[in-house]
Amino acid sequence: MAKLQRGESECELEKGVRVSVVMSDSSEDEGPEEVAFEESRSAALKSEEEKLQAAKREKELLKEKRRKRQQFFQEQKKKRLLSDTLLEEFDTVPQKQKKLSDDRDEEKDKKQQKLTKSKKKKASRSLQGNCSVMRLKDESADSSMQQSAMDFIQARLYGSGTLRTTNAELLSLEKKRGVKKGAAVQFVNKKWGAEQKAKAEKSNKRFIHRQKLVTT
Amino acid sequence: MGEFKVHRVRFFDYMPSAIRALAFQPQREKIAVARTSGSVEIFNCADRFFQEKIIPGREQAATEALAWVGDRLFSAGLNGVISEYDLENQKVKYTIDAFGGPMWTIASNQQGTHLAVGCEDGTVKLFEVCEGKIQFEKNLAKQKGRILSLSWHPSGSRIVAGMMDMIRVFNTETGQSVHRLLVERGIGASRSVECVVWGVVYLSDGTIISGDSSGKVKIWDDLTGTLIKSHQVTKWDVLALSVSQDETSVVAGTSEGTVVQFQFLSVVLGQEDKEWVQTRIFKNHTHDVRAVLELGTAVVSGGMDTQFVVRPLLDKIEERGPECVLRKIQFPHRSLVSCAKKAGLLLFQYPGHLELWRLGESDGHGASGSVLPVKRKPEKLLHLKIKGEEHICCSAVSPCGEWIAYSTVASFRLYRLHCDNNNVSITKVSKLPKVLSSANQICFSSDSSKLFAASTCSSVHVVSLSQTVHKFVCTLKPKSGETLLTTAVHLLAASEDGKWLASANSDREVQIYNLTKMKLHSTVPVYNSGVTAMAIHPTTNNLFMVHADQQVFEYSIEEKKYTDWSRQVQRNGLHYLWLARDTPVTNVTFNPKNPTHIILHDAYMFCIIDQTLPLPDSSSQFYNQLTLRSLPEKDRTKHSHAFKMCKTFKELMFVELMEDQSLVAVERPLVEIAAQLPAPVRQKKFAT
Repeated sequence: MAKLQRGESECELEKGVRVSVVMSDSSEDEGPEEVAFEESRSAALKSEEEKLQAAKREKELLKEKRRKRQQFFQEQKKKRLLSDTLLEEFDTVPQKQKKLSDDRDEEKDKKQQKLTKSKKKKASRSLQGNCSVMRLKDESADSSMQQSAMDFIQARLYGSGTLRTTNAELLSLEKKRGVKKGAAVQFVNKKWGAEQKAKAEKSNKRFIHRQKLVTT
Repeated sequence: MGEFKVHRVRFFDYMPSAIRALAFQPQREKIAVARTSGSVEIFNCADRFFQEKIIPGREQAATEALAWVGDRLFSAGLNGVISEYDLENQKVKYTIDAFGGPMWTIASNQQGTHLAVGCEDGTVKLFEVCEGKIQFEKNLAKQKGRILSLSWHPSGSRIVAGMMDMIRVFNTETGQSVHRLLVERGIGASRSVECVVWGVVYLSDGTIISGDSSGKVKIWDDLTGTLIKSHQVTKWDVLALSVSQDETSVVAGTSEGTVVQFQFLSVVLGQEDKEWVQTRIFKNHTHDVRAVLELGTAVVSGGMDTQFVVRPLLDKIEERGPECVLRKIQFPHRSLVSCAKKAGLLLFQYPGHLELWRLGESDGHGASGSVLPVKRKPEKLLHLKIKGEEHICCSAVSPCGEWIAYSTVASFRLYRLHCDNNNVSITKVSKLPKVLSSANQICFSSDSSKLFAASTCSSVHVVSLSQTVHKFVCTLKPKSGETLLTTAVHLLAASEDGKWLASANSDREVQIYNLTKMKLHSTVPVYNSGVTAMAIHPTTNNLFMVHADQQVFEYSIEEKKYTDWSRQVQRNGLHYLWLARDTPVTNVTFNPKNPTHIILHDAYMFCIIDQTLPLPDSSSQFYNQLTLRSLPEKDRTKHSHAFKMCKTFKELMFVELMEDQSLVAVERPLVEIAAQLPAPVRQKKFAT
């Protein structure tokens, strides 16, 4: 009721600020406390100001973000374009050409165009730092595609994740379960176990050396 | 019979290449086999699976799939080209670049009008098959992902394509994708990897059967685009699928070497509703099975263990015969070894190079079966690498050991060898007659004065060899005039006296040429099985031929008719154990000291046929060498018969009798081949 009687000043108050009526649980029978008008007004104004300031800060933050992004994009764009020095070189070359065309007749335009082209070519050749020219015939993209296709099949059939064993294992298992039992192929056939024996010998030597078992 | 010193040769490191694709041509019952070396072989199903033609491969070849269109054979590979093969001359006719990147699969429609190719960039390209060439027609809608398998609907209106994680059904008229069938990934760790649909099959009632890398065979309905049934067949990948002609049986090849069969049966006996049920499992391979074929009466499979296995389905075969045998073809049906008899040299033909070895020597004497001490070890005299990318088609060394010749599809080379005791030098013969551009088979005359090179249209070029100039003598043509023969010659045999030359081509025709008059002398009557080995006797000039169905014929060249011994063999019939052998005879040779002996061998035995002894009948013991040895001398003649078989040497690639009466047996143990194969899958077996 009291709110309705007051005029426009109340609108500010009603925007978002509620006059908090402190109600203590114990004293429900008593009437409401008297809060001084000045106090509540100042509280409301403060909260208004804080709100405004918070909004401002947010705006500032967004501005910052936008500015940084803009800068980043500009830098990116700069990177993609040629450097300034090169652009200067480009500028000087057409200027020279302009002078030349002013001096000479129009009939010699074609020659000049050729000159410009050749000069530009020369200019471009000097730019070839990281680029190289290759004929399409010499190295076709097919071989790389073929290689990637072969890698795909190799990876699917023999890559990681496929459970594969060795031929020595397969033959040894056949011998173990066969009608005529025999030893594993590494022991029967000298060629098979040669790699493993060599590895074992090397690791033995390393062990001995590390443990300094053999006094030199 | 005789005692022979045997050189047991095991230093021929023959390594076959893995089988990548199989294709069946029902009209002529031929199977085309593509290997990872790029070579294509044609096997004849009706003729005991005899390897009729071999088209050599090349370096960096990556053939992925084969397709027959009528009588024409096409292949697609990872190099992005479609090749058509000239089967008469055994080479590549032409190649077409499909501009789609590496190609994974090729399929022809049942009407024989179009070829579809699945590419790495996700397009299915349709080619129209015209007379003498193929022409690009259109691309179907481009997909995101590689096309790994294709199958046409029998009506030709739809194609199903297996890709990564999905299957797409295309309408060939509009080119648009009609259905997208999503294939679920495997369980556990394989959930993170894409599921590859390695094989698809389209049946005429609209059922699609697919095999993928999670080990499942899935059955889909193309009307609704939904999954009907899923069968988990293996823990590893299902790499190949094939359906029989009558669409009642599908076989799937897996990574663990098993071939699983599904049949369209009614689950309850007597009821009409049928479904696809897993019936049999065949385990005939040790490594991945990358191609299967369902022929109706047999299941043919091939894979990384390089064996070509034919497993007959006995419930589909009516009568008992040679088709009921499980066949494992490991070695080629041609000889890769040639021998210089007088010089004691062996020439080994590898795909990319040739090796010349001199045999060792041994002085000692010993009892039968004992190992003699080696005085001088065999040594490698020459390692000849070929230039270029093509593989060697054929090679030969002259009997005196001075000339070596080899031919690829594109070139022919002849070398002169000078061999002192320790110095070996080789010079290339540069000016060869221009007509010698390539040869299908090479043979030297016995006195090394002439070179015979078989080339196109069954003709044989004769070149005379001398110290300085090699002159082209003439071309022996099979028929003068009317009908020209077109197929290539795969066997040549020259007589000892230099007067006769016999040539056999893959159309089962054997021609005999008179070398003094340089023209055709006679043609042997055509027999319905291909010739696997032949040779001309040094003294009697009889042509001895062995065929793929193990029949043996002897033809007298001078009299132009079969000999009496040959007629007697045909009347008697060969022993059933001889006819039941499953590998063909690849070399026939004679003994100059004993003119009635004929020495021949196949992969698991070598045999001496004595023409003076009586022929065995079906009741007598065929493998009787051991029993004869146990009998006393007098009784032996009563019990011995003409076929003396020796099974001591296994996995034989070549047996020959040298001039000093010693035998050479080139063996290639299968364990050595198995040692160099790629890795098999790890299977946990009980109690290991």
